[in-house]
Amino acid sequence: MSGFLDGIRCGDCECNVDWGERRNTIASIAAGVLFFTGWWIIIDAAVKYPDEGTFHHAYHTCGVIATVAFLMINAVSNGQVRGDSYSEGCIGQTGARVWLFLGFMLAFGSLIASMWILFGGFVVPRKSCLSVFCGAIFLILSSFLLIRGLVFKFGRTEDLWQ
Amino acid sequence: MAGIKALVGLSFSGAIGLTFLLLGCALEQYGVYWPLFVLIFYVLSPIPTFISRRLSDDTDSSSNACRELAYFLTTGIVVSAFGLPIVLARTTTITWGACGLVMTGNAVIFLTIFGFFVVFGGGDDFSWEQW
Repeated sequence: MSGFLDGIRCGDCECNVDWGERRNTIASIAAGVLFFTGWWIIIDAAVKYPDEGTFHHAYHTCGVIATVAFLMINAVSNGQVRGDSYSEGCIGQTGARVWLFLGFMLAFGSLIASMWILFGGFVVPRKSCLSVFCGAIFLILSSFLLIRGLVFKFGRTEDLWQ
Repeated sequence: MAGIKALVGLSFSGAIGLTFLLLGCALEQYGVYWPLFVLIFYVLSPIPTFISRRLSDDTDSSSNACRELAYFLTTGIVVSAFGLPIVLARTTTITWGACGLVMTGNAVIFLTIFGFFVVFGGGDDFSWEQW
């Protein structure tokens, strides 16, 4: 039994994967977890409080807008915005920048809207604490969606694509 | 021969996972079959990876946009499979015990699917197209 720990070495076992190579994969998975957890939280709130009084249906807008913003942000690549991609596309570099600007505006706008829903819709009217929880859900959802957009956009590096 | 052993082991763990799922549905004190809808997620979960592997066969790059989108969608399907029993349990459609059993089954089944990809689809010398 003596010395049976001698074979253990740190850092060079086979399970030591190269995290730099895997960066895009991890960012994609993290983005997926955030995105779908956010949407399942909102589904949970919607089935738990189906009445219009506790949970106004118009509040779903900020989640939808954040999803649209996510699609917009990730539909253009970073290379297109910097102008070092091979093809110009149909609206060029300026168009890509304007598109990305609008996408980020939608994303931040939905985050701000979710804060408004939390305070204006649930905290200030002093409903039950369940309602405040319900409003916090929106904040969590929207910030999840925003973080997920940022992770999926900037967590991945496009150098690995070449 | 190693492939046969892995196949038998994976089918065993898949059967265990399905047993957990059916226990969560069919035990006498539970008896609600709504959680069986996670079967749809089991079927859907490998499909994005299949599509991206078939479409992107440039193996010189370590990653590409198509494959990352496939990972994103796969993660979403897995998260949905865990989210569905939680939501069902929170609305008291099923009990929390059934929810726990279904989620255990989820974990086992998804590990099985992941194991399929590691054993049969991951190696460089053994490509998925040989199936």
